[in-house]
Amino acid sequence: MSHGEADGHEFPPMSSVKRWFITTNHKDIGILYTITALFFLVLGGVLAMLMRVQLWSPGASILGANAYNQAVSAHGLLMVFWFISPFAFGFANYIIPLQIGADDLAFPRLNAMSYWAYLFSGLLFIASFFQGGTFAGGWTMYAPLNLPTYMPNIGGTTVVLALIMFIAAVTMGSVNFLTTMYRMRAEGLRMRDLPMFSMSILLTVWMMLFAFAALLAALMILAAQHIFGVTYFSADGGTLLWTHLFWFFGHPEVYIVFFPALGIMAECFQTFTGQRIVGRKWFVLAMVLVALQSFVVWMHHMFLTGINLEIKTLFMVTTIGISLPFDLMVFSLIYTMIKGRIRYTTPFLFSLGALILFIIGGITGVFLGAVVLDYEFRGTYWVVAHFHYVMVGGATGLFAGIYYWFPKMTGRMYDEYLGKVHFALYFLGFNLLYFPLFVAWETPRRVFDYAPGLTSWHQVASIGGFLLGASFLVMFYNLFKSMAVGEEVGDNPWEYSTTAEWAVSSPPPLENFEGKPSYASGKLTFREDPQLTADGSGDNEPTGTPSTDGGVQTESAAASGESALVTGPEAVASAATGAATVHTEEEHADHASFWPFVICFAGFLAFLGLSGIQDGGAYYWLTGAGGALSAVGFVGMAQESFHTPEPTVAEQWPFEGVENMKLGMWMFLGSDVVLFGGFIGSYLFLRVANGWMHWHHAFIPEAHVTLPGLINTYLLLASSFMVVLALVASHKNSKRGVVASLSLTWLLGVGFLINKGIEWNHLFHISTEAFPNGWGISTNVASSTFYLTTGLHGAHVIVGLIMLMYMIPRAMNGAYLGDDEVSIEYFGLYWHFVDIVWLFLFPLFYIL
Amino acid sequence: MARFKLYSAIFVVLMALSTTQAIVEETGMVDFDAPGTYWMAFGIILVLSFVKATFVATYYMHLRWEPRSVTYLFLGGLFVALALTTAAAYSIL
Repeated sequence: MSHGEADGHEFPPMSSVKRWFITTNHKDIGILYTITALFFLVLGGVLAMLMRVQLWSPGASILGANAYNQAVSAHGLLMVFWFISPFAFGFANYIIPLQIGADDLAFPRLNAMSYWAYLFSGLLFIASFFQGGTFAGGWTMYAPLNLPTYMPNIGGTTVVLALIMFIAAVTMGSVNFLTTMYRMRAEGLRMRDLPMFSMSILLTVWMMLFAFAALLAALMILAAQHIFGVTYFSADGGTLLWTHLFWFFGHPEVYIVFFPALGIMAECFQTFTGQRIVGRKWFVLAMVLVALQSFVVWMHHMFLTGINLEIKTLFMVTTIGISLPFDLMVFSLIYTMIKGRIRYTTPFLFSLGALILFIIGGITGVFLGAVVLDYEFRGTYWVVAHFHYVMVGGATGLFAGIYYWFPKMTGRMYDEYLGKVHFALYFLGFNLLYFPLFVAWETPRRVFDYAPGLTSWHQVASIGGFLLGASFLVMFYNLFKSMAVGEEVGDNPWEYSTTAEWAVSSPPPLENFEGKPSYASGKLTFREDPQLTADGSGDNEPTGTPSTDGGVQTESAAASGESALVTGPEAVASAATGAATVHTEEEHADHASFWPFVICFAGFLAFLGLSGIQDGGAYYWLTGAGGALSAVGFVGMAQESFHTPEPTVAEQWPFEGVENMKLGMWMFLGSDVVLFGGFIGSYLFLRVANGWMHWHHAFIPEAHVTLPGLINTYLLLASSFMVVLALVASHKNSKRGVVASLSLTWLLGVGFLINKGIEWNHLFHISTEAFPNGWGISTNVASSTFYLTTGLHGAHVIVGLIMLMYMIPRAMNGAYLGDDEVSIEYFGLYWHFVDIVWLFLFPLFYIL
Repeated sequence: MARFKLYSAIFVVLMALSTTQAIVEETGMVDFDAPGTYWMAFGIILVLSFVKATFVATYYMHLRWEPRSVTYLFLGGLFVALALTTAAAYSIL
């Protein structure tokens, strides 16, 4: 019986359906992510097979032109967004807290919300098929194909909204993982000693936090173009703007997809060669370098556009540069195999396969990084083949992960023979499918017609595609069968595993560890009552020479220059013998909340309604119902008592003293900076594209003056001042001061919105020679950028006001006094950030 | 009380700098037909915005009293946004 039941936490057993709707436990969420991602793999795979049937001979008309376009687009979007990364985050959810010695993620309810937003965003995508057809403009969604003019069906809009909802899920997950990994590591576990999989996820979520914010900006603008009629991507420079925003996200996305696979490969290479990754420190540094470089290579996807030659040359250099750290990682993995003794298990075979496929994908990508060659290859099947060798190569690493951690997640071993059959079919099918595409590279991308001379290559590819698809039948059969009748495993079925998840039972107990995990002694131990030092850290400083994966090198090993680890089996042995194992009775976390499900279901309804709101009718009702239900959900969640204790002893460098909630808020704001950066950057880009000075003369009415902006600047600055006064009053235990300051903040915020409303109303209804029908949102590119950017800011103000409407009554009842002032501080972080954004919007949109 | 005085002083500075931005516009420096003057005004006004934002982030958001890593996190986001904006704008010059 889990303690949840024993303690009356009303947390149902795993056999109960209810549990899966209310769970916030990271392992449950991990399982949900994994199963859902596999569902989307099947959906995307079926679409791919439809395409391969169509491509059996040139110009075949099984699907029809538009249906083929939809299949191509939906396949790409579903596989890239709804399968690969969520599949990796199934493992991340399950494994990361175990590897770093945490009981759960920092914000369990946010984690559940992230999952439900992911699931409902996928359901929204599926709904788009039934709204006159789904998105048909390719997975890169290039303008102007992504505009309502070329895609008038509601389903296209629904996909854009589904992606927005998906990014909301990604951002929640990123904030959660970053906070957890920086604030909840076991005592003695330094950042540099994180296990390879954890390290790869850490870098992945950093990239996600910033890259997805840029895509969010692009998608919000696109949604506004579909719903409100802004003119960004149809204006001069608009198509180029989309490519900049998309690929600023899109190139880091390649590494966002591949890094988790790389982490799994590194884990498997270590475990199944019995050898620590050769040059581990350099391997990690190379990953950090790639994560940074990934943000400065995006324009190599744009060599065929009208960007200038200087920038093309610069981005060719940065692109070649990013291959260098990857070379180091590849050689490190190869040398690890040479130095170790290989056990050809299924996870190792998939890891090795991923390495081989990635090498081919990487080498063929260098061609596309060179400007001159890219002129020839861009828009052909060379790109399709290269892209799949990289992305599906990454997925190959993830399939290694499912076999590697299957025993941990289920407590049973998979069938090794069937695993190897799966690998053989998979690897053969993969190469039969994708390698001929290099040969048939002259086939135009996203077009189902091709030169008859290429038919035989396409037929080989189609056979390979079906073989690849069939290989998954073996996998599903193996995993289902093994779950029921597989051999039971103990804590650790792998002889040379080195990470902490193998030191607990399979599957692990609800709160992971019986006792406090600690690496302070140099190896993994569990202890009961850590003595706190004055700074809040543990009493035992880590001793010895820290080594990989939280362990340390033994003195004898260090002396001999070998890399023997004392984690893994020895750590397990240590725990099992009870040398340092003690059971603690500490406060338990809550694990159940129904509200994340409710809120995300409400979001699904609201987005579905929004997709067709221009048509009115049922769509209005759906939007309204979604909005009302989400309000109920948020209030319910705010009222719910949900306890998640922060660890009393943990490694927290470099964020010591910044409590979890505050750090989470800062992470969110970091992402929001990029979101607003995307909007402001879009405005600046379009203004440059249309002529900076010409902009003012051609597009701005005389009635658009500085004064309303200046008044709003005064109002927001005053409201920020009121928030800090509320903090001062809280510090002094002055209830009246807190209530008065928060109320004034609210009034000033409302004043800001009223002033904006008056200004907008005036501009909408001006009638001049240049603007006889007013200056509305669709009038020109300047009005679109003005209303949308300041509108997004206004929406942030509205969210802040809603928070205040919750806080003020609570303050009247005596909340937020003394030590409870942190809530005001967290709100203040948000409100001041909104203020800062306005400090730039004011000059850019009202003066300059 | 010390913080109250500090916060109040910063509020006065922020209001003054905002007014200064509007005054720069009133002086006619923001002249779209005179690029030299315009870009000078552009520089002055944006520098003032950065100064104001720094005051708000440093004191009202308490970055001054947080570990430096929090500042780096915020600056990281800003750097990413600026990199996108400047490189994209330069690509079409």
